[in-house]
Amino acid sequence: MPVSDIFRPLVVLALAALAAMLVSVSVGSADLGVADTLSVLVGGGSELHRTLILDLRLPRTLSAFATGGLLALAGALMQVLLRNPLADPYVLGLSGGAAVGALLAMLAGAAGFLISGSAFAGAMLATLLVFGLAHGSGSWTPSRLLLTGVVVAAGWGAMITLILAMSPASRLPGMLYWLMGDLSHAGQPWPGLAVLVLVCLLVFPLGRSLNVLARGSLQAAALGVSVRSLEWLIYLVASLLTATAVTMAGAVGFVGLVVPHMLRLALGNDQRMILPACALAGGTLLVLADTLARVVIAPEQLPVGVITALIGVPTFLYLLYRSR
Amino acid sequence: MTTLTTDNLIIDIPGRAPGSPLNLEVQPGQVWGVLGPNGVGKTTLLHTLAGLRAPHRGEVLLDGRALGSLKRKSVSQQLGLVFQDRQDGFPATVLETALIGRHPWLSSWQMETGEDIAIAERALQALDVGHLRDRLVSTLSGGERQRVAIATLMTQAPDIWLLDEPSNHLDLHHQVAVMRLLSGQAEAGRAVFMCLHDLNLAARWCDHLLLMYPSGEACWGPAREMLVPSALESLYNQTLVTVEVDGAPVFVPVRS
Amino acid sequence: MITVVAVLGLALTASVSAAELCATDALDRDVCLPEPARRVVSLSPGATELLFSAGAGDSVVAVSAWSDYPPQAAELPQVGDSNRLDLEAIVSLKPDLVVAWTDGNSRAQLDRLAKLGVPVFWLAPREFEDIALAVETLGRLTGHTPVAERTAAEFRDGISTLQATYRDSAPVWVFYQVWDQPLMTINGDELISKAIALCGGINVFAGLPRLVPRISVETVLAADPEVIVTAGRGDSDRDWLASWQSYPSVTAVARDNLFLVSPSLLQRPTFRMLEGARELCGILEQARARL
Repeated sequence: MPVSDIFRPLVVLALAALAAMLVSVSVGSADLGVADTLSVLVGGGSELHRTLILDLRLPRTLSAFATGGLLALAGALMQVLLRNPLADPYVLGLSGGAAVGALLAMLAGAAGFLISGSAFAGAMLATLLVFGLAHGSGSWTPSRLLLTGVVVAAGWGAMITLILAMSPASRLPGMLYWLMGDLSHAGQPWPGLAVLVLVCLLVFPLGRSLNVLARGSLQAAALGVSVRSLEWLIYLVASLLTATAVTMAGAVGFVGLVVPHMLRLALGNDQRMILPACALAGGTLLVLADTLARVVIAPEQLPVGVITALIGVPTFLYLLYRSR
Repeated sequence: MTTLTTDNLIIDIPGRAPGSPLNLEVQPGQVWGVLGPNGVGKTTLLHTLAGLRAPHRGEVLLDGRALGSLKRKSVSQQLGLVFQDRQDGFPATVLETALIGRHPWLSSWQMETGEDIAIAERALQALDVGHLRDRLVSTLSGGERQRVAIATLMTQAPDIWLLDEPSNHLDLHHQVAVMRLLSGQAEAGRAVFMCLHDLNLAARWCDHLLLMYPSGEACWGPAREMLVPSALESLYNQTLVTVEVDGAPVFVPVRS
Repeated sequence: MITVVAVLGLALTASVSAAELCATDALDRDVCLPEPARRVVSLSPGATELLFSAGAGDSVVAVSAWSDYPPQAAELPQVGDSNRLDLEAIVSLKPDLVVAWTDGNSRAQLDRLAKLGVPVFWLAPREFEDIALAVETLGRLTGHTPVAERTAAEFRDGISTLQATYRDSAPVWVFYQVWDQPLMTINGDELISKAIALCGGINVFAGLPRLVPRISVETVLAADPEVIVTAGRGDSDRDWLASWQSYPSVTAVARDNLFLVSPSLLQRPTFRMLEGARELCGILEQARARL
């Protein structure tokens, strides 16, 4: 595929992402015109406007972009790993582990960084648990990995219910918002954005190997791919991406499933294009979803996971119906 | 051009006693056919020769160097395999599918060039599927998919071609066309090594045969030495009638 | 709201079989007892407090989880969390009155209890007067009318005194923070907001439709409150207040009007609200001085 064929859709998606971010920082419960927003962005504006845009909206918009990009990229990688276009970043129980970590921290009365740290630790624990169990006596197949992940995820689900049942009522709203995915928790966007950019650069040279791997592990091995180490790498990278996203915003659903699927329908399945496209389109989707979450019943707020599910479920069903 | 040899190779079939060791020498220009009843391990043998499965004992060598000591990438430049089962979880066009054959020849940062696309297109033309280049593989018939798979191997262009039942799903015309193409590749200096379930195709197109018996025994050699009716009858546990047509023996199972 | 339908014979001694003792609860149901309740189960921490205020503490045989006030309530046997009650434990205590709370207890679950013949009395105080009436009614149903009427009168007096004191004070704009993640406040229907109004304050989010709305920091900055009040996570935890320091454009931050209130005083609609309201009024007085 000529390089220009790869870059043209990516440039379009990047422009869409910038437009979405501009909308996102211009819109909010406090009434600011586009002119106010632009004057702040070029260094002017009143102190209140600067605070609103630079301290509140911009970090949140960037966090939304990073989270969406991370989830969509992780979803695309998981789908290649499991050779299943319907896999998502959470299919192996990673969000369950993160949720148990975060909820336990909340139950203990922790806040801020401790919740994020605990969520990240839970996600990595879930990753190692599933991988260790699926590895077992040595045989390691996508179906075995998937089955292990699904069962472990069910176990996490039970623990989440247990924690919710044991928690005092005052802690429940925070916990439920975390479980639904909520960007108001997000701290600094930079770690997430850095991981996103690094992984995009890392996976680009792996892109063709991933294309081959998508045709099955034997075919890939016959074409010279070191299947086992590539699968390890994808699994760890996808887990890291998901853990970073979950740490920033809780368990935001559907981005990791819907975005790669839609892009494949539109752009084909060349991972060298699909993976960076997922990062851009996933980020754009979550920026728009979070903007909606902030304004639909403004000044009250919705968790962004509700919006992604409300957009994601019908879109996905429609695509499935159409593709028949 | 590369020679594939096996040194006391015993393939690993779980739950089965190890068979007799194989000492094959597949030379450039030869067309090998592997015959044997279902479940005897023909596919396992091909996977072992391609380095996708560890042998029970012994070694596979490419030009005298053990397969395990070579990098997967350089192995895949010398040796390629058409699988019997293919997986298409993700949609891909015919051209994209053939193009993955170029994978062993490109570095990580390289994109496929116009030349790679031309190679793939020539292979698709050779297999009479060039007109399908933009179709999704999942929409093709079984025979068309089989030819796309062979075109992918042709795009890979290794010295040694391993094929698992290449005549599967093919109509009579395309069976002959594929066999002609394979012997043409052998004449050009490549080695072809394929499993076949059709005894008569093997008799017609192969110059060397490997017979694999359910007991684990095996024998191999030039085709004319191996095509002994009694050996073939015990191979398939089936009484055969032999006639000669068009300069080649034809084996027909007896009716009762 | 709670109307007494019939009150008879309460002045008589307990040994005399009184006529039926009836009251209408917050669900508009008439609850009648043959005689004052002696074995009462309270299904919410607020109900427990109101029962003790009515002088019926000695009649309470079991409470729901988190019933921590007055301290002797915490020693009583528990029958589960208010939204997950152990019906079996409640029935086996043979209560002659169960007091439930509309926010928290499950109607479906407690209707089963009513079907088993256990009288259930529902409370839903939304105003200061509701609190006083609830205590009086509980006092009557448990045979403690004199105590209940005395404490209710003290509460009413306290509230009217505050109202009289701050009626003409300069209004101050108040943001009351319920939680930080997610950021939550209260609207005008919540009793805390009524306490703010009592002290001459105006809840900046009084007009929002939901009782406990979830809002964003941005909304707070735009509303520009003059005072920010919170109970924090408890135990005089100033973290939430400290995090507002990064927004000096807010008047409350600029004037250092960031205050902690005692978490236990305002959280339940009980007589302790009076004390909480006094604390709040003091805080708003301090805030006025700094404006």
